[in-house]
Amino acid sequence: MRRGSILQLVGLGILFGGAATLVAVLIPWLPPVASKQRDRIDFVFWFTTGIAIAVFALVAAVITYSVLKFRVRPDDDSDGPPIHGHTGIEIAWTAVPAILVAAISVVSGVVLVQNDHAGKNHMDVNVTARQFAWTFTYPDDVSSAQLRLPLGRPVKLHFRALDVIHSFWVPEFGQKQDAVPGQDTSLVITPNKLGTYPVICTELCGLGHALMRTSAIVMKPAAFAAWVREQKNAANGPPGDAGKAAFASNGCASCHTLKAAGATGTAGPDLDKLPAYAKQAGKPLEDFVRESIVDPNAYVQPGFPKNLMPSFATLPKTQVDALVAYLAGGPK
Amino acid sequence: MTAAVAQHGHVEAPRAPKTPRDYVLKAGWIRAAWMTCLFWGIGLGLVLIFRAWAGWDPLFDWSVITVVATLTAAPVGFLGGLGAFDYWVRYAAGSPTVPEDHSSHGGRTWSDYFRPNTDHKVIGIQYVVTTIVFFVAGGMMAMIFRAELARPGMQFVDNQTFNGLVSVHAALMIFLFVIPAFAGLGNYVIPLMIGAPDMAFPRLNALSYWLLPIAGFMMLLSFVVPGGAFATGWTSYAPLASDQPLGQVFFNMGVQWAGASSIMTALNFLVTIITMRAPGMTFWRMPLLVWANFTTSLLVVIATPFIAGSQFFVMFDRIMHTNFFDASGGGYALGYQHIFWFYSHPAVYIMMLPGFGIASEVISVMARKPIFGYRLMALSLMAILVLGFSVWAHHMFVAGVAPWLRIPMMVTSMIIAVPTGIKVFSWLATVWEGRIHFNTPMLFALGFVSMFVIGGLSGIYLAAVPIDIHVSDTYFVVAHIHYVLFGGSLFTIFAGIYYWFPKMTGRMFDERLGKLHFWMTFVGFNVTFFPMHWLGTQGMPRRVSDYSPRFGDWNMLISIASFFLGMSIIVFLYNMINSWVRGAPAGANPWRSKTLEWQVSSPPPYFNFDELPQVVGTPYEYGVPDARHAVFNGDRTTQLEEVHT
Repeated sequence: MRRGSILQLVGLGILFGGAATLVAVLIPWLPPVASKQRDRIDFVFWFTTGIAIAVFALVAAVITYSVLKFRVRPDDDSDGPPIHGHTGIEIAWTAVPAILVAAISVVSGVVLVQNDHAGKNHMDVNVTARQFAWTFTYPDDVSSAQLRLPLGRPVKLHFRALDVIHSFWVPEFGQKQDAVPGQDTSLVITPNKLGTYPVICTELCGLGHALMRTSAIVMKPAAFAAWVREQKNAANGPPGDAGKAAFASNGCASCHTLKAAGATGTAGPDLDKLPAYAKQAGKPLEDFVRESIVDPNAYVQPGFPKNLMPSFATLPKTQVDALVAYLAGGPK
Repeated sequence: MTAAVAQHGHVEAPRAPKTPRDYVLKAGWIRAAWMTCLFWGIGLGLVLIFRAWAGWDPLFDWSVITVVATLTAAPVGFLGGLGAFDYWVRYAAGSPTVPEDHSSHGGRTWSDYFRPNTDHKVIGIQYVVTTIVFFVAGGMMAMIFRAELARPGMQFVDNQTFNGLVSVHAALMIFLFVIPAFAGLGNYVIPLMIGAPDMAFPRLNALSYWLLPIAGFMMLLSFVVPGGAFATGWTSYAPLASDQPLGQVFFNMGVQWAGASSIMTALNFLVTIITMRAPGMTFWRMPLLVWANFTTSLLVVIATPFIAGSQFFVMFDRIMHTNFFDASGGGYALGYQHIFWFYSHPAVYIMMLPGFGIASEVISVMARKPIFGYRLMALSLMAILVLGFSVWAHHMFVAGVAPWLRIPMMVTSMIIAVPTGIKVFSWLATVWEGRIHFNTPMLFALGFVSMFVIGGLSGIYLAAVPIDIHVSDTYFVVAHIHYVLFGGSLFTIFAGIYYWFPKMTGRMFDERLGKLHFWMTFVGFNVTFFPMHWLGTQGMPRRVSDYSPRFGDWNMLISIASFFLGMSIIVFLYNMINSWVRGAPAGANPWRSKTLEWQVSSPPPYFNFDELPQVVGTPYEYGVPDARHAVFNGDRTTQLEEVHT
């Protein structure tokens, strides 16, 4: 090869590499970081991206150069030089990619081990996934529909699925784990930034999959402790409060609107209109509410799909009673 | 295989005028119609007899009746009516058969394409045209859900329809387009390339094609049953899939029919390639497309039974109340994914290796240079075949697999980058210093190489466990699979269709429209799918009808680009149909290729070779003075001594 063509090829490589680098830098590829694990994942991401840009630039440069330089007119009948191979080059392009992927594997392996390590001082949180809501249960039996985490403390989430497979993901934490029926799975998160982040179900779990969202709130440790205390008191307080707590902890708000609970979901019927619905269904309000919780398909309000709401017959009777009292009593 | 082809006394069945009785009883569409109904009735009867005898309630259980009568018995009746089993039934019953009966062979009139035909060239065209029909259907579904996804919130369809559209789109594209389109191109080309008169089992070949429209029709039919189309994604994970509306069984059974078709074709390819090569065609003289289909067929016969099993288990859980995947009954929910991906990861290579073969053919011919590193190209296919069975759990890094399994499966997945890299670099080296003819097949082949590199690189991200944990089940995965299956498989399918169009039809396509099609596809494809990478890393999950408003602008751009991409198909279809009807005659070898299929007329004779080819060298000797791939009996005087070199 002449020196001029090598320069042109290198120039094209720099051009494509530069363009790819701009795409990598100018587009906000990754959401803000809110956990230690995400920090490490981001390192693997950018390490891999560096290698990917180099490989892409090489291939794009060679293809572009070839097309520009070696193109012939359609009526050109000549053949190219009969080159059948080159052992040295073939060994090189077997070995170099092998080394590159080995490097990525090592980095990935180290990060995986670190990200799976919860440490001694971690807090355990049980996560129950059902169509189409999450329930988070903390030590001392406090539970909520939103995940609340103290800043800086490793948390180990233990997943349980009641019906089908769901998957827990918070992009800002970078960690994801499926909840599988009949199987215990877990995930470690060490939040390192205050804020509210989306919790997204990423495994297709049925009709309401796109709505199976809640949020993760990272709080100062003192605020978290205060919140836990407050929740404990509410659960032991008057029945209205227990109903309100059950409404919140079972994720009702992700689909239903209820002014008193600050819920604004629109996938299911508006619960502020329950008395009117009960009249349409031709049942006493209290019976209607109870039936709609344990056997939602018995009466489905026109305009809403059947089979969307899962049955909550598995809830403890006290919780169902509290919910019925809360909803039928005209929530205050 | 011997030179028997030319000596055959071809028996043409006498085509006597048909009586009304013949119309009803002879193989054909009328018999297919009444036999479909008859077999549906037999299926229904079987279900009712057994349920009545066992005293089960309800007697009319439509999910059982659908599986047995509609999705199993009726298609068998349809195939029997068309005549797909006639020869075998006659043979099994001891009636006289005609050993050299070629009445069902060859495409003389258009109606020969609408019945079981034993000519691999007819079957190849049947396959390609049918798969394009399903490709267009699947593409239209994509247009509908892209319209829905253009804005956040719900506009045009409800959740059930959306999930159904996404699922049927993927199922059609995978099982009814990419896999069988390659099988169709292979069907047409392989016997010609190895110098054989036909496939090893022509009647099995005819049957394997006719299973395909049945499978596709089933998947489309699921839209009209109560509860809507199957809506659990093409992966159809249990236990969700065990407890879905009736449409789900149309997927479970559709996959069985498509899978059976794949297995039959793969067996046929294997036996044909192993036993029917022309004299002198050693394995190291086979074109790389033949190598590619050889490895693909091995993948198909080993892996496909696993997806069949997984779908049967789901159906058993549903209909017979077994507990394969139901944890509450002691089942193992994750077991479905292990079995499913043990097929479906190799399936990625089933959808890619034939494309590698097509790219090798096109690039070598259009660059007028021998394939760089031919043997390593063939060996890397074999390496991918072996490694392909050891990586399935990389689809399950977040699924709850045993933690120890993740690092080994990451390493094997990474290693696959090595043989794949060898192939990409070898194509680049083949192009280097070539005499590049920048025509439509070559555009698609080079477009494939560049797009596939992007898909391969995003595959590295997905193999790296920590990154995969973040991007799994997001739009990053959607982007990746489309770079691999659209930028990879579909580009090579287009390259193959344009490349062999002159051979199949005897006519040339319109080069300017071909180029227009390529550039529309290339631009539309990249604008549609590249932004999905960062939508995924930023936080947009896949398979959702509604999404966070902050992703709205990119989704709008993606939807507009996807409509543009959809329009490119109109250019393609117009070009194909118009050129087939009134294109300029192409001649036997418009690309000046050395492989055998171009050494016969376009379209080839009914039995491919009037003279048996004698293979004397490798197929890519461009630029080597006086090199031959094959000689025909007529010019035997030249270099016969080279046969054993």
